[in-house]
Amino acid sequence: MTWLKLVEGYMPMQMIAELTLCILFFAALNYMLKKAGMGIPKFWAGIGVWVFIQLYLKYRIYPPLPFSIRAIYGTVSLCGIFMWVSGSQAEWEEFRRPILDVLDGKTPLHRAVRAVLLVALPIGLGAFAFNSFKPSFEEPIELRTVHPAPPATTKVHGKTYVLQVAQNPYRVNKEGKYDQEYTNAHITEQAMGRLMKSLGPEDNPWNPNAEGYIKYVREGGEIFFQNCHFCHGDNLNGRGLWAYAFNPIPANFTDAGTIAQLQETFVFWRVAKGGIGLPGEGFPWASVMPPWEQHLTVDEIWKVIMFEYWHTGYYPRTWD
Amino acid sequence: MGRLLSCLTRKHKRFLAVAALFAMGGMLILPIFLSLPALAGGGAPAAGGPPPDVVAAQEAAKGEEEGEKIEMGRDVYYKTEGPAIGMPAPKTEDNELHYPRYNFESRVLIWVANQQHLYYGSFVLAVPIFCMCIEFAGMMTKDKAMAKKYDQLAYDFIKISLTAYSLTAILGGILIFTFLTLYPSFFQYLSSIFRPVMHIYALLFVAESGTLYIYYYGWDKMKEGLLKWLHLSMSVILNVIGTVLMFLANSWIGFMMSPAGVDEQGRYLGNIWHVIHTALWNPLNVHRILGNMAFGGGVVAAYAAYRFLSAKTDEERAHYDWMGYIAMSLGVAFLIPLPFAGYWLMREVYAYRQQMGITLMGGLLAWLFIIQATMIGILFLTTNYYLWQALGRMTGGERFQRYIKYLVFILVVGLLVFITPHTIVMTPAELKAMGGQQHPVIGNYGVMSAKNGGINAIIMTTILSYIWYQRGNRIPTVKWAKFGNIFMGCFFTVAQLNNIWLACYGYYIPANVRIGLSVPQVAGTLSCLFFMSPLNLAMLKGGKVLGPIQWGRIPPRSQYALIMLATAFTWMMGLMGYIRSSVRLFWHVNEIMRDNSPWAYTHTIGFAANVISFNVLFFWISILFVFWLGTLGTKKVPVPAVEPVPGAPAPQPAVSR
Repeated sequence: MTWLKLVEGYMPMQMIAELTLCILFFAALNYMLKKAGMGIPKFWAGIGVWVFIQLYLKYRIYPPLPFSIRAIYGTVSLCGIFMWVSGSQAEWEEFRRPILDVLDGKTPLHRAVRAVLLVALPIGLGAFAFNSFKPSFEEPIELRTVHPAPPATTKVHGKTYVLQVAQNPYRVNKEGKYDQEYTNAHITEQAMGRLMKSLGPEDNPWNPNAEGYIKYVREGGEIFFQNCHFCHGDNLNGRGLWAYAFNPIPANFTDAGTIAQLQETFVFWRVAKGGIGLPGEGFPWASVMPPWEQHLTVDEIWKVIMFEYWHTGYYPRTWD
Repeated sequence: MGRLLSCLTRKHKRFLAVAALFAMGGMLILPIFLSLPALAGGGAPAAGGPPPDVVAAQEAAKGEEEGEKIEMGRDVYYKTEGPAIGMPAPKTEDNELHYPRYNFESRVLIWVANQQHLYYGSFVLAVPIFCMCIEFAGMMTKDKAMAKKYDQLAYDFIKISLTAYSLTAILGGILIFTFLTLYPSFFQYLSSIFRPVMHIYALLFVAESGTLYIYYYGWDKMKEGLLKWLHLSMSVILNVIGTVLMFLANSWIGFMMSPAGVDEQGRYLGNIWHVIHTALWNPLNVHRILGNMAFGGGVVAAYAAYRFLSAKTDEERAHYDWMGYIAMSLGVAFLIPLPFAGYWLMREVYAYRQQMGITLMGGLLAWLFIIQATMIGILFLTTNYYLWQALGRMTGGERFQRYIKYLVFILVVGLLVFITPHTIVMTPAELKAMGGQQHPVIGNYGVMSAKNGGINAIIMTTILSYIWYQRGNRIPTVKWAKFGNIFMGCFFTVAQLNNIWLACYGYYIPANVRIGLSVPQVAGTLSCLFFMSPLNLAMLKGGKVLGPIQWGRIPPRSQYALIMLATAFTWMMGLMGYIRSSVRLFWHVNEIMRDNSPWAYTHTIGFAANVISFNVLFFWISILFVFWLGTLGTKKVPVPAVEPVPGAPAPQPAVSR
């Protein structure tokens, strides 16, 4: 259902808001039907809500959710529906009445349903078992560790860096001192469009007279567009020219789950060592990123990292 | 002697009894005082002198002057200098000397032995704290019938813990034998480091046993007047000893995770306080106290549920319904702050070693944290469910039950956000269809900012359920009732909106500020707990009672919920213990002593889950035996089925549904 847009930047809250509105609508509808003497039986209401949630997750959310997520959400919502229909004794009795009627075979219709279920259930279970054991040619599921723990130190171009305490030497203020707050204040706006916060000379990397931090950002940008954008994309969203030659596609830096979650030194280590330098924990080592220490200097690596944070509007993680 | 005793007046006897008790108490805690100098640093003076490391350095200098060469070492954590008086950590190899074995994986054997000891240890540490609280509540209650009920309840609690206590000791012995048999080099090293406190631990265990036995067997003899107060104060001593015991045990695991007090080679530097007081010791202590209490409450609630379901009479059913409710309430009271203590622990882990934190929450073990989040969600959802069922035993409770569906929705949405993984399990085809590792819609739920919002929403809803439960059969009649209701409604709404807003805002600010945002989120949640619950009680004071609480008149579903609550606690403890232990990866002592056994790898999630499930099953089978023992020689429970309320209709008999 792509005609109703999920708005970039608001998608997570939009999904919750849509579900809330739908549930409130169902509650209001049921209330009105009850007032009119046509209330929906609890049994069917429970099943209906659960089916609705499954359909919503399957067809409303795009790109499609992996099965594991739908299974988790489906199970939790099933538990929630059980809690709802058995929250009070009266509701529980109302909910289970049709089940007991079928089991007891109260009317000819109930007996017919019981007979059908008696045949259909074993067949269904058999089919399920058959499908489970049937050889499959699909690629196996991979539980990939996207952000493996970094080592305590890393050696790049003959120098050892302690990742816990190392700092980007180009993240400096006007006085040339390391200043995270100063640089944080001069990144792009993180909202849609990623506009620069102001067009003052201090914030404009195209300004030929720019000095200090913003000049280093420009230099980092040059390095990025010479080396990185082919995979990571012009907009740093992992959709570069070559991105779809790889599986998984390159990291999307604009996502809140990538560089925004990491210390700058973590990114430094990953860029310098590349896919081949992933530790044992980084199973299944699904990264073809080259070890950039073989192509870039240490300064160039720091500058390109700073550009990535500047462009995406994220701040590197710090622990103070 | 007999003649002498007969000459004494009642007053004298009481004085002698008190004196004897104090003497006994003094004897029991004597080992602690005797060992205090050792605690302060390998035999250095306890107080008044220079710090232990200075003393050690002086001694080393003196030794050097006298011609002996004592090597100095630098503390890996505190960075202080000290004489390297301990042996270096052994460099083990995969052979019979360092890792003798049966024809089975040694790690699994030590895992099971550890876990079982820990389950019982937690239980016997938590239950006496409950006993103390309940006994105190009984002594403070003016209503004599209620006081008797509380006293009986406290007695029931301690009765279960007594058998469990013996099992704890047996399991502790098994654990030590397993260490000695399968990991001799490691155990030798660890005991050499903790030598100054090893025997204190054992002596404290003796002290705790003695206090517990006097506390239990003296229950009837010390039931009135000053003796009752003495009895209660014994429970305080019992709990102090138990807590110190746990702190000592925690120092060992703290040392294994974040060693201190040793140099790079693992040599002890003469300051036992540094060895104990490692980077993670205090967060572990707080987290474990709360965890033990929540676990203990869960197990006692399960015991009560078991007795409820097997009860033959209405009186029994009423008593065990009440017992289950009290145990569940105590457990949940400690469950609520538990996530915050866990948050502090993880923060300290990250501060200690970034890679350790990432391995836990972002890397190798991240999926286990998703399982943990699921278990936490189950605990809170089950608690809510129990409270909603419990509304059924109150006249007037049904007026709240119609709103349950809305609470269910908030809980489910909160839980879905809370358990959404950052690293999604998917086939390569699904990965391609999704267009990247992170999903643009639900990917944002996978990081901490959203998860904080999710869990706080769940906890706030649980508090609301509890407030509804308090109101079940009562209507506030104070003059300001309307204003109070509006104020409470607004307070909850604002707290919830604040929580959601901060969860969203967290994406737009630096990580260090984002971490700080958890403070106002938690403050909002705790304000609901600490301001709204008392406000509610104040409003209900002297309120209109719609009918009595019909103890025992509750659907069996509620009791299964209690059993599920306890099982979820047990499973989660097993899981978290495994996570905490396996984060050391291939180290016995992190970065000091390498694990070179063939099992120094991280198990698959499936295998770990199977061992955890086995541990849970084993614990519950053995604790069922303890429960069964508890039923032998049970006294008649002198509890009315219904709280007497003047003018209220006669209660209906409890029915099984």
